[in-house]
Parts: sequence; C-alpha cells; structure tokens
Amino acid sequence: MTDMTDPLAQEIQGPSPRQMLKARALSHRGLIFGMVVVGLLVLVAIFAPLLAPHDPYAQSLMKRMVPPVFLGGTWEHPLGTDHLGRDYLSRLIYGARVSLLIGAVAALISGLIGTAMGVAAGYFGGQVDAVVTFLINVRLAMPVVLVALAVVAILGGSLTVVICVLGLLLWDRFAVVMRASTLQISRRDYVAVAQVIGASTPRIVLTEIMPNVFNNLIVIVTLEMAHAILLEAALSFLGLGVQPPTPSWGLMVSEGKNMMLFEPWLVLIPGTVLFVLVLAINLMGDGLRDVTAPEGRS
Amino acid sequence: MLGKSTTRSSFIAVALMASVAMPAFADKASDTLNVAFTKELENVDSYFNSSREGVVLQRAIWDGLIYRDPNTNEYVGNLATSWEWIDDTTLEFKLREGVTFHNGEAFNADDVVFTVDYVAKEENGVKTQRNVNWMKSAEKIDDYTVRILLKEKFPAAIEFLSGPVSMYPNEYYAEAGPSGMGLKPVGTGPYKAVDVVPGQHFVLEANENYHDSPKGQPEIAKIDIRTIPDVNTQMAELFSGSLDLIWQVPADQANKLAQMDQITVANESTMRVGYLQMDSAGRSGDNPFTNKLVRQAVNYAINRQELVDALLQGSSKVVYTPCFPSQFGCVQDVTEYEYDPEKAKALLAEAGYPDGFTIDFYAYRDRQYAEAITSYLNAVGIQTNFNMLQYSALRELNMKGEVPISFQTWGSYSINDASAMVSQFFKHGSLDSTRDDEVLEWLDVADSSTDPDTRIEYYTKALEKISEEAFWAPMFTYNTNYVFKDDVNYTPTADEVLRFIDMSWN
Repeated sequence: MTDMTDPLAQEIQGPSPRQMLKARALSHRGLIFGMVVVGLLVLVAIFAPLLAPHDPYAQSLMKRMVPPVFLGGTWEHPLGTDHLGRDYLSRLIYGARVSLLIGAVAALISGLIGTAMGVAAGYFGGQVDAVVTFLINVRLAMPVVLVALAVVAILGGSLTVVICVLGLLLWDRFAVVMRASTLQISRRDYVAVAQVIGASTPRIVLTEIMPNVFNNLIVIVTLEMAHAILLEAALSFLGLGVQPPTPSWGLMVSEGKNMMLFEPWLVLIPGTVLFVLVLAINLMGDGLRDVTAPEGRS
Repeated sequence: MLGKSTTRSSFIAVALMASVAMPAFADKASDTLNVAFTKELENVDSYFNSSREGVVLQRAIWDGLIYRDPNTNEYVGNLATSWEWIDDTTLEFKLREGVTFHNGEAFNADDVVFTVDYVAKEENGVKTQRNVNWMKSAEKIDDYTVRILLKEKFPAAIEFLSGPVSMYPNEYYAEAGPSGMGLKPVGTGPYKAVDVVPGQHFVLEANENYHDSPKGQPEIAKIDIRTIPDVNTQMAELFSGSLDLIWQVPADQANKLAQMDQITVANESTMRVGYLQMDSAGRSGDNPFTNKLVRQAVNYAINRQELVDALLQGSSKVVYTPCFPSQFGCVQDVTEYEYDPEKAKALLAEAGYPDGFTIDFYAYRDRQYAEAITSYLNAVGIQTNFNMLQYSALRELNMKGEVPISFQTWGSYSINDASAMVSQFFKHGSLDSTRDDEVLEWLDVADSSTDPDTRIEYYTKALEKISEEAFWAPMFTYNTNYVFKDDVNYTPTADEVLRFIDMSWN
C-alpha cells in the first residue's frame, strides 16, 4: 500500500475516488441545500415532542385563527392558531412526522417490490422479463391518484391504509430503472466470470449486481419519496387521507381553504413547508444522481 | 380594519375581473337578481327532492292551499279561501276562483284531487313520504269545493298543507310527470321558471298574473340562480358584482363580509338542530352507548355554549331537546347537561371504562363542528376514528344500524311541530337507534291526538325520558347568514326559506 500521507505519492496517484466524490458533493449546491433541509426536517420530526411549544391536539375555541407573529400575532402562538384554536406551529411540527413517515415507508415498500421485480427481469430475461414488463405496463396504465382515491374510499382513510396503498402503487419507476440497469450490468465480464466460477445466483445478484445499481436506486428512492409525500397531501386535502385530528400538511391546507380569501396564511404556511420539503428531496435526488453518475466522475 | 379589507376585496375583485369572463352584470338596472346555491338540486319537482334549495324553489314556483305567515305563524288561505274540519279525518276547502297556472291552465278542484291522489299513492315514490302519507285521497264536491280525506287523525295537517304540499296542474302533470315537471316546472306561484338547465342555472321570472295571494306580489322581475359549490368563489363573485345574494355563508366568512362597504349580512335562526345520535339500542353490535352512564358522559363532555359562541355564532342557541324550541310540543323543561368533563370521566369510569374507549365517529356536514366535537370527546377519553361521509351514504349506513355514534342535523322541513323531528326518529323507524317502547307509545298518542293539551302532555313525557336517558346529545340550533348587496332589500325569516317575493331593490 502506498502511504497516502506522502505528498509525492498523493500527487502521482491523485485523490482517491472517495475524496473525489466528497469534493463533487460539496461543490454541488442543490445537493447541499437538499440534504440540509431534509436533515433538519428529519430532526424536527424525531424531536417533535421536545420542539412543539403546545399540544397539537389541544383545542381552544375561544382563540381561533389567531394570526401568526409576522401578521400581528403574539409569540404565544408564533405561527398562529387554526380554525379550532390549535397551535399552528405545533401541528406543522407533528405534521412533518406524518409526511416523512409516509414518504419513507411508502418508498421503502415500493422500493422492495420494484427492485425485486426489476432485477429479476433484467437478470433472468426471457419469460420472467416478459411477465414483469407486462406488469409494469399494466401498472403504468393505471392513474395513481384515481386508484388511490378508489381504494382509500373503499377501505376508509387512515395512516396505515394510505401508506400501504402508496407503497403498493409507486413501484413502477423502481422496476423500470432497475430492469434497465440490471440488463446492462449482467452482460459485464465480471458477472460472466462469477457465473463461470460457479457462484450462486443470489450471490451474484447481491455482490456483483446490486452494488452497481445502488446509485440509481438511491435516486429513485428520493424521487418516489417526494411523490408519496405529495400524494398523501393530495389525498388528505380531498378528505380521504390521514383523518383528523392527526395533523397532516395536506389536511391543514384543506382546513384552511375555506378561509383562504380572508386568512391566506392558513393555506400558505403548510403549503410553503410542503413545497420546501418536496423541493429539497428532489434537489437531493438530482444532486445524488449528478454526483454518482459515471459521466459526473470525470 | 375596514380600510384594509376594502382594499383587499377590491384587489380580489380586480384580479377576478381580469381573469374570468363575467356573465352579464346583473343589478338593479337590468332588474335581475343573481343568486348562488351551494348544492345541486336533483329535481326541481318539489315532491322529488329533499333539499333546502328545493324548498326555496317550491315556495317561489308553486302555492299551497294554505299559507302560514312566517312572522306571525298565522294560517291564511292561499289557493283555498276557507277550510273546515267536517270530522276528524275530513277537511273541506273552498277554492279561490280565477287562478291560472303559468301555462294558462285554470286552477280548480280537479287539480287538487289529482295532486293529492298522485302524491298520496306510495308507489309514485314521493321522496319524503312523511310529508304526504297522512293523506288518503281527495274528493271533488263541485268545481271550487274539495275534500281531503286523511288516513287517521292528524292534527298537523294544516301545517303540512301550508308547507310541503303544493298544488300541481292535473292535465300538464299527467302528461309531463315528475321528470317533465322538473325540467319545465308549471305552478301558480309568484315566479315562473323560464329556464332550467340542471347543473348550470335556474331562471325565474315574475308572474305578472299572480293572484291576490297572502304571499304578496313579486317585485324583482328576474331571478337567476346558479350553482356554485365553493364559498370562496361565491364571495369573489359577490365582490365582482356578478352575484347579488348568497346565503348559508359560514360564520367566519360572514363576520369578515359584515365589515365591508356595500354588503349587508343578515343572520337568522333556522329550525335545524345539531345532535349526536348514539346507538343505544345496540344495533351496531355490543357498543358502549348501550350503557346509560356512557351516554350521559358524552352529554357532559360537550361544551355546547363554547360551540355556539365560537363556531356557530349568530342566533344559534344551545338545546337539550331533540326538536326545535319553537315547534309545537317541544317543551324545554328537560334534563340539562352542563359542560363538566370531570363528571364525564367519572361516569365513564363508573360504567367500566376508566381509560375510555375507541369508537367509529361519523359525520356528513360541517367538518369543522364535527372536529371540534370529537376533540371534546377525545378530551374525556373517548377516542374517535373520524369518518366523513356523504349524506346519502351515512343515511344508508344508519338505516342498516351500523353507526355507533354520529353527528347529525335535522331541519324538520321548516314544519313548526315537534312531530316533524321527534316522531321522525323515535318511532322505531329505520333511522331510530333508540327503539324505546315507552317513547313510541307516548309519541303515538301525541301525534294523533287533536287535543293540544293532551299532545303537550305526551310530548313532555317522551322528551323528558329521551333527555333523562340521554339517548341523544342534542347540542345546538343552526343559523343562516344571508349576505347581499346594499342594493337589495330583504329581511330573512326564521325558517331557512329564501323568499324572492319578499325582496326588492333599494
């Protein structure tokens, strides 16, 4: 091994791939912004009980729709109160939990389904590929929002139902991308070598293929997470997602809608937070792709 | 505040005018009043819809034999000039002569006989059977004398005849039927429907040949009613001038509108009562509400006064009876449950639920009120799975007896008699979640007796038991905000009926 502290050796060898990755990541502004915002919101969600100034469920009908502090309210309720006199900031903070939980779990479920299908199709080809491609086409032909609406309407809206429905609906992009990447990788020489020396199929998939498609997977996970969060907000807005009194940003927008003409902040505050979160996740996904893509390495 | 909101509203108005192609500006100059309805009407034929919008059109397009003055509650003749009870189940009417329907058909005894015989027949499917199923048939004596025969004694007959029972033209209705009548309505009323486009608008025009009716004479020449479901859109159109009158505006918005120039907000109570219905009969299986202590706990858990003061506002009142206080027989001297969450918790513990329980909670309107109510229940330990359904879906579930607790409202069709509400829900019908035999027995006496004192006595017994046993948790009465331009002169009445005939330009 070359001693990395030796300046001469460093100059000859150049920075290690890991260092280059780090340098690229740090110079990518979108990625940094996305990571910081998502990271902060994750922390807020985890420490919600410590951060929230009030109980998000505590109703006080005598103090309804107090404006936020920048519109003439008081620091008692920094972001004001909602139509039932509940502290808006506390509901936003607890709402982050709902959004992130739904985004993460739905992306995880659909990621597992989509990746398994895509990798199997790409690696085995033939009939397996035909079946998976057919399933992907069937899935793509169904409008997600309509199917989600129908299922939620039949089963009744609740956190679990929404997570499951979104998890079972959003696997298409995973399957498509994983199938294409696996198809490429499985033609590589090192996969052929592994097959020749008699490695088992699970071993080849896990040690030769997965590490090489992992970068793509990360990007899709972030995109689908943002997608799931937006869908949850849409379903809750329509009254079919998370049910009150659970705080959800989509539900908060929906509840504020009636007073939009006179108290626009009721809609603007949760809407802005939702916008920032989805933007941050998308920027993070884009950044990860830029940083890890082969063409970005040069 | 005033200056601020006017700037804001004019900004909104300008923005809207720039972006939306406006229908013709309606105002005093063109003698057209533009009105918005929130809900779609299934059929204009008043016997084949059950919505408030239908009642409004019914009072404008048709007339009944009798008219109840909404201010004095006095009965006066409308299409009939006089009436008398021949015996307990026969009513004889002298009809007004010289009245014609909008299509020119003359009004006489044949029309009354046809209408009564048609609607009283159950297989013709009149939507709200209770409005008509007390009549058996009608008999023509001569061209302007007619008798209505009742199935059994029914003291509220006059009230029903002055409300939902309106007279239809026999020749036209025989040919057109409910669907034809729905598209081209023909009546004797102060306004004639000239254009009905379902889902878009209804246009009414003043009936220039309107008879000398106690309703008065129409003053505004043309009424254009459009369906606009969203309150924000309605308000925006009101600012921009393409609407002159909106109603059923929620209290929060009405308060803001009241601060604006050129807009009048009038608030009136309605007969609608909001209540929690609990499955005390156990139709939805073994549930906590079969226990009287739990039902009482629910009653104590709700801060009715706070709901009225903060959410409903206006002329709403706290009620403890399953009927509207002005209704005949709706005695107010019943058990009252003051807000007392500690007592509610103690009652729950005594009933065997020291940590409370979780239950499915249903509602169909006023999500905000429903949320506030569940929040009170949650506070004493009754956790709720919140379900918001369409009215028809909830009604169906309720008929099947699958609803443990729900937030319901009932407007009694503006019938000023307790039977329109208590008897609707406590006489072992499909919507009765109580099924108490004693209450049924007393209500039977009260509903069919012709002696007012006996009626009061038995309604009192029934209402006392209902509130003592806490079968329901009646909470508040509703109010309606009517919001209109200063150009419009209108004094709303307490029965939630928008009367175009009472409107004029300032």
